[in-house]
This record gives sequence, C-alpha cells and structure tokens, in this order.
Amino acid sequence: MKKQSWLAIYLCAALALMLAPGAALAAKTIKVGIVDTYSGPPSTYTNDVRDGFKLEVDKINAAGGVLGSKIEFVTRDDKFKVDLGLSAAKELIMREGVDILMGTINSATALAVSDLVKNEKIPFFATFAKTDKLSGEKGHRYVFQITENTASAGKAGAVGLAKQKFVKYWIAGDDYEYGHALAEDLWKNLKKLKPEVELMGQSWWKVGEPDFTPYITSILAAKPDAVIIATGGAGCVPFLKAAKATGFNDKVPFYMHTATELSTLKPLGLDAPEGVIGSSNYFFYYPATPANKAFVEEFKKAYGREPKVGALYGYLTARFIIEGYKKAGALDKEKLINAIEGMTLDSPVGPVTLRAEDHQALLPMYMGVTKKAPGYDFLIAGDIVTISGQDAAPSLEDIKKARAK
Amino acid sequence: MEIASHITLAALGQQILVGLSRTTILFIVSSGLSLILGVLRIPNVSHGSLYMIGAFATYSVATLIGGTTGFWLALVLAPLLVALLSLVVERGLFCHLYEREHLMLLLFTFSLTLVFGDLVKLVWGSDFRSLSLPPTIQGSFTLLGLPFPRYNLFLLVLGPLVAWGLWFLTNRTKIGKIARAAAVDREMVAAMGINVSWIFAAVFCIGCFLAGLGGALVAPTQNITQGMGHAIIMEGFLIVIIGGLGNIWGALLGALIFGLTDAVGILVWPQFAIVFPYLAVVVVLLFRPRGLLRSTW
Repeated sequence: MKKQSWLAIYLCAALALMLAPGAALAAKTIKVGIVDTYSGPPSTYTNDVRDGFKLEVDKINAAGGVLGSKIEFVTRDDKFKVDLGLSAAKELIMREGVDILMGTINSATALAVSDLVKNEKIPFFATFAKTDKLSGEKGHRYVFQITENTASAGKAGAVGLAKQKFVKYWIAGDDYEYGHALAEDLWKNLKKLKPEVELMGQSWWKVGEPDFTPYITSILAAKPDAVIIATGGAGCVPFLKAAKATGFNDKVPFYMHTATELSTLKPLGLDAPEGVIGSSNYFFYYPATPANKAFVEEFKKAYGREPKVGALYGYLTARFIIEGYKKAGALDKEKLINAIEGMTLDSPVGPVTLRAEDHQALLPMYMGVTKKAPGYDFLIAGDIVTISGQDAAPSLEDIKKARAK
Repeated sequence: MEIASHITLAALGQQILVGLSRTTILFIVSSGLSLILGVLRIPNVSHGSLYMIGAFATYSVATLIGGTTGFWLALVLAPLLVALLSLVVERGLFCHLYEREHLMLLLFTFSLTLVFGDLVKLVWGSDFRSLSLPPTIQGSFTLLGLPFPRYNLFLLVLGPLVAWGLWFLTNRTKIGKIARAAAVDREMVAAMGINVSWIFAAVFCIGCFLAGLGGALVAPTQNITQGMGHAIIMEGFLIVIIGGLGNIWGALLGALIFGLTDAVGILVWPQFAIVFPYLAVVVVLLFRPRGLLRSTW
C-alpha cells in the first residue's frame, strides 16, 4: 500500500516535469485568477459565478479560443477574510502570472484587491462585492464592477417604493458596511423621490444574528406603514422564517433587497412568506426571452440546477473578457481595457453596457413580490417591475462628486 | 434618542416572553457547559461545535424521516447522537487526560472544535442548510394584541421542564449526588470505592446532550451553518461566568439576564440593542466579580 502511494507520487512528479516545458512552448494562454469565498454560506453565491464563467470559457476554448489562445482559470478560497483574499491575489499575480483577476464576494476584500491591481496594472472584475466605492469613490482604470452595488440597489428600491402609498417607514438591517450603505442609499433616494416619507425608527442587529423574532415583534409594536430590511446574503433565509413565524408580512409590508432571489427562496421551499417585496438582477424564469431560456437550459444541462444571479455575473465577466480581446485584436491588458470601456453585450437579461466613465456594468433591476406559482416547489417573484440599468445606476455627476472627495 | 411612544405595557410584556424563549436556548446550552465545568473542571470550548453538530443532525434526521413525526423524532435523536459522539470522545481520548494540567485540557477541547468543524464539513459539506417547522407548529397566535410564534411557546414550556429535569438529576438521583460529591472532592469519592471515571463520562455525556439539544431546538429557526457554534460558545461562557462557574442555577440566572436584556434592549433602543446584554455582563462582574451565585471552583 505504502509502496504504491510513493510510486504514484513519483509518477506525478515525473509527469509534471515532462509537462512543464511543454506547456511553456504551447501558444500563450489567457490566465484568469478567481479569488472568492468557497467555504461557508457565501459559497451559495460564488459557486454560480464560477460555474457561469466556466460555461462560457469552455465554449470558447472548444471553438479554438480567443485569437488562437485558450482561456484557463484557477480559483483560490479566501474564506471571506480580507488578508487571505489579498495574499491569494498577490500569489496569483506573482507566482501564477495571471493576466486577469476576478471574484471577491466580500466588499472589504474587493477594495483591497482593487488597490493592489491599481499598482500591478492587472484588470480586476469584481463579481459579487456590493460596495459602491468600487466603481464610485475608489474607482480606477483597472477595476470593473460586474454586479449591482449598494447605490444602484438602493436607488432601484427607492424607485419601486416611491410608487407605493407608504409614508411611515422603519429601517432594520445588518450592522456593517453593506447593511448601512444599502439603507442609506435607499433612504436618500426615497426622500428625494417622495419628500413626505418619514423615518419612525431603526433597528440594527449583528451580522449572523441567530434570532430575528424579538426584532420583528418590537418593530410590529411600533406599527409603521412599511419596513425596509437591509440584511444581506444568507441572513435573508432565517429572517424570512422569523417573518413567517410572526406573521410579519401579513401585518406590515416589508421590502428586502434580495428577498426574491432564488438563493433565498429555494432553501425555504413553500414555507417562505408570501407578499414580500424584493429585488434582484436576475431570475431564471424572467424575462422569458429566448436568450434567457437558452442560457438556463445550457446551465441546467451542465450543472443540473437552475442558474442563480451569480451565474449571470460569471457569464458577463467571461463574455466581456472574450469580446474585449477579440475587439482589441491582441493579448494586451491595456488594449483589453480600452476595448471593453463602453462595450455593450447581449445577455440573458438583454443588452448590458459597461459604462466607460466608472466601469460599472449597467444591469437591469427586477422588483417583484414573492408568491406561490404552479409548477414550482418554492416561491417565485411575481408582478415584476423592471428598473433599467441606466435608471438604477448612480448618475455620472454623483460618481464625479464621490471621486472628487 | 427619544424613547419611542410605541412601548406599551403589552409590547413590553410580549417582548419579555419572546426574550424568555431565547433564554431557554441559552439556558440549555450554558447549563451543559456549566455542568461539565463544575464536575469535570474543564472549560469545554468544543461545546459550541457540539451544538452545531446537533443542529446538522436534526436537519438530517428530520429530512430523512420526513413530516411532522420526523421533526419531533429529530429533536430527540439528534441530541442523543451528539451524546453518543461525546461518549466516544470521552472514553477514547478525554479520560486519559484528566490528570494533565489545566492548560492541556483547554487546548485539547479547542483542538476538538477544529476536528468537529472538519467533521461537519466532511459529512454535510460547506453549504448552509435550512429546516422548516412542521405545519402544526408554524405561524403565530395573537397574544396581548401582538403576534406570538407558536414555536416560541413550545420553547417557553420546554425551558422549565429541562430545568426541572436537571434539578431532579443532580438532587434526587444517585449519579447526581455522586457527581456533586466528585465536584467537591474527587479523591474522597474514589476512596469510597466509586468509579469516578464513569461518573465523569456520564456527566460529560449529559452536558454534551444539552449542547446537542440546544442546537436541535434552534435548527428550524436559523441557518444551519459552519461556524454557528462560535457565537453561542461566547454567550455560553459569559452566562456561566456571570452566573458563577459550575453552578447550574447560576447558568439559569445568567441566561435570564442575558436573554431578557437582549429582548428588552431591542424594544427600547433598537439602534444600539447589540450592546445591552454585554453591558449587563459588565455590570454584574463589576459588583460580583466571582458571579452571582456560589461558584463550585
């Protein structure tokens, strides 16, 4: 037994030695490094980014690659920690010699990596970090945000809520960057669109709060017209459970940004509360266009599950890289950046433009209400209102102002 | 910050009841911690991991059997599985270490958290799980004009039952009496011809059973995930410290203080509610540095 395993190691080593010079001789490959959180709850989101990206990469490689070069990628798990993410990014640049970086669901990690690539001059596609500083205040030539951010989510939420009759609001959320930024952006825009709204009070809980019941009962006692919930990621699931247990949604309507997302609703099955207002960049069942249907079918065939919002981000990143190099006509990072600035791509959610000025992907936002539907063993979003990418994104003046600071 | 006008007596009463059901969980977990601390003299850092395993096991048993019976059966079976696991660990590893110095034991239980964490990763993967309550206990009823979840009522009933069970165990059964004696003087009990080693194993199992029970009870209300034991182990130790090390009634008192200040704080000052229970801990320790009740240490 022992002898055999040693033999295997020798064989592997020998093979590696044989292959190494061979790989160097082959045509130059485009190397992409993905730093993301692949352990713990965030992996629900990040796995879809990677799989959506891989789907497009496999397709182009099978067709002979981009400009004759294949795209290959390596992943690193940052365990949702800034220091691990940053050192992984450095390792990918120095040792692996990657041409492009992507990933980082953690906003703090994304900002740290963004700082790094600014000096290293490596293009970096942030695929899930929601901080608006990435394409706003701290934006620069080498960073691209291929996801909504707190500013656009807040703005879209405000546009949707301004159409409702609610006046007295309560705000509650995760006591950290994402929660506060989202709530602040939403409230600022809502106040602008509908000046008569008033804020009755706020509740802030720690990230990963295990029990939301006391928070909900105390908010219900205050009797607001509606509640804005700024809780992120996996926290949405237990929150909706507590909402169902207390009958929150029957008594006071509430808006929670990612409440309608598949990642939130699928684990709850048919036990999720109905009538919750939520918003998301992507649903596999909406818009029911041929492009989206084809994407869903392809994804399902490859991975045996429906694509979540992350799959769209991964898909878009791959497509921008591929189309960018094609347009640039050379494997050159600076030329790639010039090529994708302002580029518009067709996608499952229609045409998406990568805004030249701030490198923000202008993704449409779908606001809807949770409901049961025949044929699904989980709740889906109904009564969907689309807020276009241009409307949802912060204005260019706001970006300029933020960067002037 | 103004004290809002919505704080009526009904709202306060209801908030206290919600807080009491959270107290139940805190009490169940920290009483197990306290029991082990009092008798075995070990601060069991891996208690939180056992709580996590209890929650994961509840998910597996409940989904395997399915339905309402599956859920109730899981609430009983999952803590028993945790107790069984702890028995294996105690007999296989722990019982050889009792004579070692204190720091060694602490490090050992810490290493157990790492082992258990990886064990969960191996068995259940790194994704989080979500378990739904059976329909009979879902939803809420109206109490004092405000909604009160049915499951929280179940917890409110269960809490005193567990407390009574622990009282009965420590005061009315032979094993409980021997365990209390062993806590005071281990050598004397051994000199009486009693096999202290097995008493320790039993106490360790009961303590870990309580950790598993706590995990099982929270399984349907929150995400079952890697690292869910971290927060509870910190709260558990704080409760045990303010209650008096190794004193089960101290754990009850500590859990009450922690759970109620948390719930009432959320009602009174929701923006800064996070600090309330910790503030209570600080106040208690300022006036009673050795805890509220007599420590067995």
